[in-house]
Amino acid sequence: MDLVTVKGLSKRYGGIVALSEATFSARAGEVHALLGENGAGKSTFIQILSGAVRHDGGSILVDGQDYRPANPDAAQARGIAAVFQELSLIPDLSVEQNIWFRHEPRTLLRTVNRAEMRRKTLALLDKYNFPALRPDQELRRLTLAERQIVEIAKGLAKDPRILILDEATSSLPAREAEWLLKLTRQLAAEGRLVIFISHRMAEVRAIADRLTIFRNGSTIAVHEANAVSDNEIVTQMIGRHLDRLYPERIATATDRIALRVKGLSSDSRLSGVDFALREGEVLGVGGLQGHGQRELFQALFGASKASGTIELWGKPVSIANPRQALTGEDGIALVPEDRRGQGLLLTKSVRENLTLSVIKRFTENGLLSRQKEAALVKEMVDFLRIKAGTPEQLAGTLSGGNQQKVIFGKMLLTQARVLLLYDPTRGVDVGTKGEIFQLMRDLAARGYAILFHSSDMPELVHVADRVLVMRNGHVAATLEGDRISEAGILRAAMLENEAA
Amino acid sequence: MAIAEQPVEMAQRPAEMKSAKPGIDWRGRLLDRAPFLVACLMLALIVAIYGSLQSGVFSLDELNLDTAAALTLMLAATGQTIVLVRGGIDLSIGGMISLGTVIAATRFTDDPSTTALWALAVLALGFLIGALNGLLISLLKLQPFLVTLATWSILNGVAMIILPTDGGSVPAWWVGFGYAQLFGLTSPVWMLLALLLFWWWFRATRVGITIQATGSNEKSAFLSGVSIARVNLITYGLSGLFAAGAALFLTTQTGAGSPTIGKDYILPSVAAAVIGGVSLFGGRGHLAGTLIGAFVLTLIGNLVFVLHVSSYWQPVASGVILLLSVLASSVAEKAARGRVQ
Ligand SMILES: Nc1ncnc2c1ncn2[C@@H]1O[C@H](COP(=O)(O)OP(=O)(O)O)[C@@H](O)[C@H]1O
Ligand SMILES: [Mg+2]
Repeated sequence: MDLVTVKGLSKRYGGIVALSEATFSARAGEVHALLGENGAGKSTFIQILSGAVRHDGGSILVDGQDYRPANPDAAQARGIAAVFQELSLIPDLSVEQNIWFRHEPRTLLRTVNRAEMRRKTLALLDKYNFPALRPDQELRRLTLAERQIVEIAKGLAKDPRILILDEATSSLPAREAEWLLKLTRQLAAEGRLVIFISHRMAEVRAIADRLTIFRNGSTIAVHEANAVSDNEIVTQMIGRHLDRLYPERIATATDRIALRVKGLSSDSRLSGVDFALREGEVLGVGGLQGHGQRELFQALFGASKASGTIELWGKPVSIANPRQALTGEDGIALVPEDRRGQGLLLTKSVRENLTLSVIKRFTENGLLSRQKEAALVKEMVDFLRIKAGTPEQLAGTLSGGNQQKVIFGKMLLTQARVLLLYDPTRGVDVGTKGEIFQLMRDLAARGYAILFHSSDMPELVHVADRVLVMRNGHVAATLEGDRISEAGILRAAMLENEAA
Repeated sequence: MAIAEQPVEMAQRPAEMKSAKPGIDWRGRLLDRAPFLVACLMLALIVAIYGSLQSGVFSLDELNLDTAAALTLMLAATGQTIVLVRGGIDLSIGGMISLGTVIAATRFTDDPSTTALWALAVLALGFLIGALNGLLISLLKLQPFLVTLATWSILNGVAMIILPTDGGSVPAWWVGFGYAQLFGLTSPVWMLLALLLFWWWFRATRVGITIQATGSNEKSAFLSGVSIARVNLITYGLSGLFAAGAALFLTTQTGAGSPTIGKDYILPSVAAAVIGGVSLFGGRGHLAGTLIGAFVLTLIGNLVFVLHVSSYWQPVASGVILLLSVLASSVAEKAARGRVQ
């Protein structure tokens, strides 16, 4: 018998239909992937199952019994725990306090039994081979990836029969993502149901027994994982045939150097980075994780300190903080790694997010011109095809891909022509990924210079004109033309590691 | 189509989980406690100046006197601290304190059981009115500032109706409570210790942690199953309860009721907490800091007195200290954030 059966599930947010008549069913002991474009309704579905949001219509059966959780507690009582896409962690509590929040072991005085809590934490982390975490560390000191891992531990601490992972691998480094995939199989083998959401087809392929495809809030198809091709899946997800993910790569680079970096070093991870980015070029930055890619982007944006010279359009500049990086047509704009944390104000509207940092452009004689603002916002929303009900919709309620588009819009409105894109497709569905790649090529054709890092190596291979391979904080190799391949990147990235 | 390409097997580097570094992060801990340490420093400085100008400052008598002078504020600020840690603010304590004193001054009699009953009634009323604040904030989804501003005004009005001007009286034995001694320490000092003990216990309970967590990140708390309405009810209920306690203690000091006296505790209760390092954005703070802050604010008054300057300098000095504290915590916050990135 199925552990969960969902029929006719519907949910609206004002005028937006998040789910309409969705169906779903899954068994104990399977890994069930839930696939769909950004905005297809996956997170909404998960939020309903886990009691965070209430549905408008339809029925859910768990173990054949009616299930309509009033809050997350009620869901937990029925053995359902979710690892939320937006995470449910408390910044001012420690790792272990977060893991056991509201379920802490207690002493006779009704206070938290710290010794017992520590013991249980270590036992849990040990049982599932968690990556090293310090239980007493305050959460706000952790990186995004570490927080994601704590959120997973928190879900498992409830020993749930149904565990839901909403894009849990998207913020994890390769090694930890791999660990999570193994863990997922292990949990299914223990007889639990794991509902797994991811945009990485390879992951889904690696672990899913079955998959359900959502589109526009409805269920399009259910497949046995080994009985369907990637092509079919993608076609069903986006509702049309996607003939190519990567745009044609037409060389548009000129001889003009947009950004020249010489001897960039920092005490953290950069040691003498040299390269030149040309007008109209997409320059990829690759290599193994943690060899200075992140630090390079941060240093160029002025978010961290570094020594060395940086020239923009032939002029030496010193970028001490992000505000200096941003200014005008000669400036630099960044699409950051953690879009929810750094890139977007989630509780502000799409319009405000787009225009906040460029408010000057709508000011005439010291007065804000709403008309001018509205016109520019509309232009951006149309240009980027941002799917929002109105420009006043809160950014936090947009789907991941559309949030990413808002960040692109924000960046373009700064008029800077040197763009730093740090993993811009993370957590973005295939359809939108394709749009983003096309956009990058279009911008390059218009003379923008783009520095581009992706944690997904095929993206570098197929989108960049040249690829810098970083190793130990410097550029170990620059690949061009035919030499750009995954094998080529890996070879350059690991050469020294092999020797050592 | 290249969508389905396998992710390339990366070389197995050891996980770079920064937080897993062993050892204690001393600098981080120091930065976290910086506002509290600055408050302690200020207190030490004030006591030192005070002690050099006035004889007998370093004595039990002085401790007893100063604690008695500060305890009303401390009680009020304890409730305020809980609310601030929740990420709210409670202005209504001003009204509750006034109302508490006028009820005591008009209803307390020489009969201990009647008085005890009314005292309990005041405490219960404090909790109920606070709980009502919490309920209104949750149900109407209004700013705590606005809701408690309104209840402050209402309570103030009710206090005026009960006792239009300062007056009434409480029995002499009730006043005696404020001066009772045990082992050389008067009851206010013992109450101060009790407050610390309460906090030590409370912040380690599930309720205490839940209040802190809700102040730290309400959405996450909700997703973790916290009932925000219940948290608000308890938080503001406790604040009302402590305000009522402050009112009762205040009558042992003044011997009478006043329908306007409460407003003198609203902003100082917030200031004491902020000086002691409690974050106005919720999630962080410790009662020990608040109590230090309350001492600082009270002793500034003494200092102004022994310096023989106009008493109008007291609010000026308090303001400067508040600014310094806020500055200290923001500098520490920035330093801490710089490190995290
Ligand atoms: N709180 C909300 N308010 C308004 N619209 C929302 C809210 N949450 C989700 N939506 C909308 O519902 C749709 C489905 O979103 P979501 O479930 O997050 O999709 P997915 O997780 O598949 O990317 C989107 O169009 C999104 O903008
Ligand atoms: Mg989602």
